[in-house]
Amino acid sequence: MAELILATGECDVANEVICAPANVTDLFEFPTIFTIGGLDISRTEILMLFAAVVTVSILYFGLRQQQLVPTKFGAAVEGLVGFVRDGVGRDVIGPESTKFLPYLLSLFMFLLVANLFEITPLINFPVTSRMAIPVALSLITYWIFMFLGFARNNFRYLIDTVWPKTVPIGLRWLVGLIELVSVFFLRPLTLAVRLFANMVAGHLMLTLLLASGVVFVAAIPDIGLKGTVGIFWFALGIFMFLLEILVAVLQAYIFTLLSAIYIESSIHFEH
Amino acid sequence: MEGNIEALTGALALIGYGLGAVGPGIGIGIVAGNAITAMARQPEMAGTIRTTMFLGIALTEALALIGFVLFFIASAG
Repeated sequence: MAELILATGECDVANEVICAPANVTDLFEFPTIFTIGGLDISRTEILMLFAAVVTVSILYFGLRQQQLVPTKFGAAVEGLVGFVRDGVGRDVIGPESTKFLPYLLSLFMFLLVANLFEITPLINFPVTSRMAIPVALSLITYWIFMFLGFARNNFRYLIDTVWPKTVPIGLRWLVGLIELVSVFFLRPLTLAVRLFANMVAGHLMLTLLLASGVVFVAAIPDIGLKGTVGIFWFALGIFMFLLEILVAVLQAYIFTLLSAIYIESSIHFEH
Repeated sequence: MEGNIEALTGALALIGYGLGAVGPGIGIGIVAGNAITAMARQPEMAGTIRTTMFLGIALTEALALIGFVLFFIASAG
């Protein structure tokens, strides 16, 4: 509910059509609660830790007992693990995927939990909408596929990227330039920005629509018929809420899938 | 309102984002439309096609999202 109050700070219900906060950062920055050794701990950091704890406990309690007939919760967790192992690991990377499965699985589960915080009641804040988490995760992926690329192919990885032998000589420098920028710079950047921007956009939309809905409906006694616009905002907000469930799951999946594809492109560099 | 540079910057950023969303919008339409055609022709390949479709959408969408981020940067600065 903190977001709803923030968004409605000073809303002139008689003249505005939708209530917007004075500054967008109001929706994403929380006041510092306490400080440990120079680190300011706010609601965001607590939620980040909470997301990690939830991820570990889901995996631990879901897979603790290996039973012939798993419990319903265990079956659901096994389904998720199987989805990452088969749908992402085996189909994209191939037989070598077992080595990368721990990373891919933790990535997927953590992002799933962190993204779904957006629509969890009482939390209502996707921690992945702070750039720190997408950047950190995409840099880990970047290091993994850079390391693999150079470890498996030596400096051919760099040379064949900027001077691809399969391309006609006239276009080779252009393709090489595009590949250089794309592989070494744009991959980690777009990987991080995609997740971050999706979550920011979703959080903004949900907060503006639902908060406007509540404020305008609450103001019906004061401003009369004009307040009924709030019903429309709230209905649109509920629709966006359902859409955001899809977006949260899809972005976790796409981040994991692209990580797997980048890793695969370093392992099977020749083709 | 005369000479209000801040309002103008915000409006220009908005127009820029609108223009930036055109290309990816067309691109996602093409990706999804062709994926539907492919699934209708070969329903047994639907799983693979769906994965590739999400991948194509994700890569196309990145441009629109970069525009979205730049909108905030431009309108704040």
